[in-house]
Amino acid sequence: MSEGTTLEGWAPQMGPGVSLEEVVDKAFDYRGNVTVVKTDGSETEGYLFNRNADAAVPFVQMFDLNGAGPYTIAYREIRTIRFTGRDTAAGNSYAAWLRAKEAARSGSAPPKGV
Amino acid sequence: MSVPVSQMWAVASYVVKQRLAGRKRYPLVLMLEPLFRCNLACAGCGKIQYPAQILRKHLTVEQCLAAVDECGTPIVSIPGGEPLMYPDIGPLVKELIARRKYVYLCTNAILLKEKLEAGLFTPSKYFSFSVHLDGLQEEHDEAVCRDGVYVQAVEGIKDALRRGFRVTTNSTLFDGASPLRVREFFDEVMSLGVEGMMISPGYSYSKAPDQEHFLRTQRAHDLFSRVLSDPKPRWRFNQSPLFLQFLMGKRDFECTPWGNPTYNVFGWQRPCYLLQEGYAATFKELLETTRWENYGRSSGNEKCRDCMVHCGYEPSAVHHTFASWRGFRDTVTATVTGRY
Repeated sequence: MSEGTTLEGWAPQMGPGVSLEEVVDKAFDYRGNVTVVKTDGSETEGYLFNRNADAAVPFVQMFDLNGAGPYTIAYREIRTIRFTGRDTAAGNSYAAWLRAKEAARSGSAPPKGV
Repeated sequence: MSVPVSQMWAVASYVVKQRLAGRKRYPLVLMLEPLFRCNLACAGCGKIQYPAQILRKHLTVEQCLAAVDECGTPIVSIPGGEPLMYPDIGPLVKELIARRKYVYLCTNAILLKEKLEAGLFTPSKYFSFSVHLDGLQEEHDEAVCRDGVYVQAVEGIKDALRRGFRVTTNSTLFDGASPLRVREFFDEVMSLGVEGMMISPGYSYSKAPDQEHFLRTQRAHDLFSRVLSDPKPRWRFNQSPLFLQFLMGKRDFECTPWGNPTYNVFGWQRPCYLLQEGYAATFKELLETTRWENYGRSSGNEKCRDCMVHCGYEPSAVHHTFASWRGFRDTVTATVTGRY
């Protein structure tokens, strides 16, 4: 994914080309709330702050929208993860900051999306 | 000499004990982040980019002390977030001092005067404010994206010094910094009467090609060489002189990512203060289950290629000091002469 784009709103379906491990990794890197949809149909919405694919039973950990937790969910219990919360990091990368600083110095407006 | 002898002795005896015990990996400074909340919103800072329910969370004093006891480092650094916004910062610092830990409270100092007037802290040889200043007024206010913060920080420093506190500064230097302005900044900071300064290069993870990586590293060496090659006698640095030589390109170290472990509301951060690749529930788990071979320049990890940050390389410098008589001699020489 290129800088400046966001996963906000993404609701992947697992299948060829989209693995659960990849979606978990993207959810782990995402600076916003996500909704974990479990195989039993239940859902947990909150911030996914940890994942361990190397554990004997691979798992993710998250705090819910009230900050309660951490809740541990095994990979095998996850059907999919929806990127439902606002991406709080969008446009706030270090590189974007440097570009904005440079634009401010030169007196021009920063590039769109920064 | 900018670090008190008692602190140097505490660190030296701790490192010698670890080496005599045959420990291959041991921590030196605990980075204890009781909260992510901050009263600034610096662009590029990842700490404040969390959803609201995470920014509202903070560790309890008991959780902090359990982490300190488990980790066992002689030095505890309290960054954040802004630690002066932590509701129990007074009791936490008091407990750490009672444990004879050398505490560095890293603050932007916006709230410093207010907290000092409230009598939250008592001066101690174990306790130092480490005030964030990224340059003179223009550069600092630009870095923190708010005018007036430099003036507030300087007022806080003066107030803390007047009340008898140890005060240091911590500064991140970025690409494009003017060596002359940095030297003026060092003069200005030392004229305030602080105990010493801490400096580190900014970190940027980028998928840049090798050529750019070389230039970045070389630019960092050039900058620090131009700033430090003719140091003024009044300058004092609250960090290893071998680390300063590393920044200047005079030495090469490998990263020690376990040297400054980080504990926060998510647990023990893997693998280091800068990279967030997961969390361990205990410090023991962090040490034993992190794939350390995947980090540091020699690993080939692109996230580590351009990194020269203190949290990975200052522990390497300290380790080097005690790894050989030559390392010890070089450290003593640089400390005594003030030449890097």
